[in-house]
Amino acid sequence: MGLEYVKISPGFEKYMPRDYVDLVKFGPFGKKVDVMQLGQFKELVEDHPMCAGCYMAYFIRIFYTALPNPEDTIVIGTAGCARLSLSQAAVPFVYGNYGDTNAVASGLKRALSIRFPDKHKDVVVIAGDGGLIDIGFGMTMHSWFRKEKFTTIMVDNEVYGNTGGQESGMSPKGVQLKMAPLGKKFDKINAVELAKVAGCVYVARLSPTNPKRIAKTVRRAILAARHFGPTFIHAYTSCNIEYSIPTREVLADARNREKKDFKFYEWMTDEVKEFLEEVERKEREEVKR
Amino acid sequence: MYFVADVKENECAKYNCKQCVLFCPEPNCLNFKASTNSAWVWYDKCKGCEICVYVCSDLLKRNCVEMVMVTPKATAKS
Repeated sequence: MGLEYVKISPGFEKYMPRDYVDLVKFGPFGKKVDVMQLGQFKELVEDHPMCAGCYMAYFIRIFYTALPNPEDTIVIGTAGCARLSLSQAAVPFVYGNYGDTNAVASGLKRALSIRFPDKHKDVVVIAGDGGLIDIGFGMTMHSWFRKEKFTTIMVDNEVYGNTGGQESGMSPKGVQLKMAPLGKKFDKINAVELAKVAGCVYVARLSPTNPKRIAKTVRRAILAARHFGPTFIHAYTSCNIEYSIPTREVLADARNREKKDFKFYEWMTDEVKEFLEEVERKEREEVKR
Repeated sequence: MYFVADVKENECAKYNCKQCVLFCPEPNCLNFKASTNSAWVWYDKCKGCEICVYVCSDLLKRNCVEMVMVTPKATAKS
């Protein structure tokens, strides 16, 4: 969905919604936007019905700014909170059934690489902890075992937020939730180590406290997935409703968790490291010019 | 009548930070105007979560963002 695709036919500008006109005039298509320019251009993601102060919405906002090539990207989501804003963006969005996001993405990526052998089409899966590690566990794992070349991003809110607060495999041990009053009896699943063992070439864990670092991680994961194999990002995106965090304290909570179990962690294979260093060196040289 | 964030533009223009814009969860809600060197709020998009107030007052101690009560009539103008 590039600029040519969204352009308005002459004479129809006054009938189009303001947001759409803004997207054509001030959107990021065809330009390279940096996350530090936020607030000075029309963002790809539009108004969405996610809760006030939701940091999953924040992560998704930064994610759309960080896409290396939004024109040639397809986002895949599933039931859960994330799809509420993923479906409101000017990037094609595919709604997978609950749990089969990575299977859909595998097929889509293969088809795209046959149809467009001369360019990179990025496929990115964004789903919650339920969609990827609980219900979609098998398909997520198998897409990694098969070394499918796309990025998987888990926005982990540690609960089934949409359906009233049931515990998920990613809820921390001992936590009491509205629909799990006895407290969780098992440990939080270590998704990052699972991804490493299953064959991901780039793995990262982060808490959304630093927009520049989120953008860099997302970019790296997508670039590495183009050439080498599956990549995975585990992002902490708190649910302020189910965990009863006052909206004003949401960022404080993210910073707090970063000090404990969501310390920034990044792992990649040697060849990916070499490739990314080369790409980033070229980018720096371009900026200097 | 509902709560939205509002930027004191004269205060904000003294600093060159943009941190509230970078930490707002809503797209294009807090924007940055280069001509006045300050952030501004698109009231219609603000859900009143106060994260910008936390960033500006609690983290940076600059107190440039405050919450104000607005009526729908006032927001229609913006």
